Amino acid sequence: MAEWAAVVGIGQTRYKTRRSDVSIAGLLREAVDRALADAGVGFDDIDAVVIGKAPDMFEGVVMPESYLADALGASGKPMLRVHTAGSVGGSTAIVAASHVQSGTFKRVLTVTYEKQSESNAMWALSTPQPFSVHLNAGAGGYFAPIIREYIRRTNAPEGVGIRVAVKDRRHGARNPLAHLQLPDITEQEVRDSMMLWDPLRFLEACPSSDGACAMVIAAADSISGNKPPAWIRGVAMRSEPTMYAGRDEVSPQAGRDCAADVYAQAGVMDPRRDFDCAEVYVPFSWYEPMWLENLGFAPPGEGWKLTLDGATSLDDGGDIPWNCSGGVLSSNPIGASGMIRFAEAARQVRGDAGAHQVENARLALGHAYGGGAQFFSMWVVGAHKN
Amino acid sequence: MAITEKLSQEFELGFTYTRSTGPVVGRFLTGLRDSRVLGIRGSDGRVLVPPPEYDPATAAALSDWVEVGQEGTVVSWCWVSEPRASHPLQQPFAWVMVRLDGADVPMIHCLQASSAEAVSTGGRVRVAWVAEPRGHITDIRCFVPVPGGAS
Repeated sequence: MAEWAAVVGIGQTRYKTRRSDVSIAGLLREAVDRALADAGVGFDDIDAVVIGKAPDMFEGVVMPESYLADALGASGKPMLRVHTAGSVGGSTAIVAASHVQSGTFKRVLTVTYEKQSESNAMWALSTPQPFSVHLNAGAGGYFAPIIREYIRRTNAPEGVGIRVAVKDRRHGARNPLAHLQLPDITEQEVRDSMMLWDPLRFLEACPSSDGACAMVIAAADSISGNKPPAWIRGVAMRSEPTMYAGRDEVSPQAGRDCAADVYAQAGVMDPRRDFDCAEVYVPFSWYEPMWLENLGFAPPGEGWKLTLDGATSLDDGGDIPWNCSGGVLSSNPIGASGMIRFAEAARQVRGDAGAHQVENARLALGHAYGGGAQFFSMWVVGAHKN
Repeated sequence: MAITEKLSQEFELGFTYTRSTGPVVGRFLTGLRDSRVLGIRGSDGRVLVPPPEYDPATAAALSDWVEVGQEGTVVSWCWVSEPRASHPLQQPFAWVMVRLDGADVPMIHCLQASSAEAVSTGGRVRVAWVAEPRGHITDIRCFVPVPGGAS
């Protein structure tokens, strides 16, 4: 890393089922305007724009970056589109950070979005192809067998996913931007909800949300705004094939390697001890214990114990709260969901997370994954450079 | 060993989508439904028709609405002598760039004219509406020459 970069502005929309009052451009501008205001800068202060979203087929707008250039103030500036499926929000933030870390740009605006109410995410993810049996039905259908394999390997008790579903919704009730506001949700309610993809019930799955998330990332000599910067202490991305039968889909090698890389950059030796909190991409309940192990917060086979012990719960006073914002289980504008994780990690170390703030948070992990759990992006942000 | 056949097969994908126009494009289209043409003033003071939601130069959100005239001047044109089935007019016609009165930029549309000789840069044209406007750009059925308009 050549130059230090920091998050100096964050802007998010309120996440909702349907934003038919705005165009796609208008949705993005809500987040962008808030990020610029948070950073105390205007479009004239921005050197480059980096935009990300999930596949074009979701909303059926091909090359949305083309139509969005004027709404994002990209006239006369470099503009880049990033695309790595569900991890795109994270990888977009990393590309924007790299623009600054390279020393080429002083301030970069980055934004991601999804307007799920106008899209066809489920079938756009599961297109029938010639010569192949049509196996998949959306992300839940893809991930459920992998979760069953996790349960088989670890003998995790049946209620772990239910615990995560309740925990993240109670977190989300602290966050006024969260789509689902379910402060009184109970384990029984989750248990009684419809089984969609065994073992995933309706309330163990993420919602479909409209929304956008934006950040301004600045070089050390261009810090602005009234809030402390969130210093980017490490960034990493890793990929692996989707359909390769020889890979471990329960704990993908790419996820382990990505974590090892970003921890080494940030000087993290023991993630559970060294991080104050983490925002991790958990779109389906059981992915919390699975990622606890993949990311090294728990030894293999023991992630579910942290969940059941309340270690990841802000309400239970856990030592390593995960997804204090409510996570993907509370809001899922797909293309933005990874960036929300990165931005919420930054909000924590800026001390700006409101009612879901972890007291004295100094170091936080932002994580996203996408595709068939094949793309990973992560960053570590801190209140200090070291 | 036999030569392996290289298989290929055509297939189609289709999805249903929704699109929300937002406050600016939505208002422009609603104007067409009422047989009015609305523009918006850009950051440099120019009146832009059709109206963009954000200024192309400064990215400012635009909201200063200006109703423009339904007559305008041909800025540029191209004659289509053999219309295809998908063209908006089935008689020979012109694609025209028309700067409506009160607007500072031209918009593209089609012009119904008797022949290429009846079209000229600088010629005067006016909007011809469809019988039942519904809030669509094709509510402007086409442009037609203004009788006696200078060319």
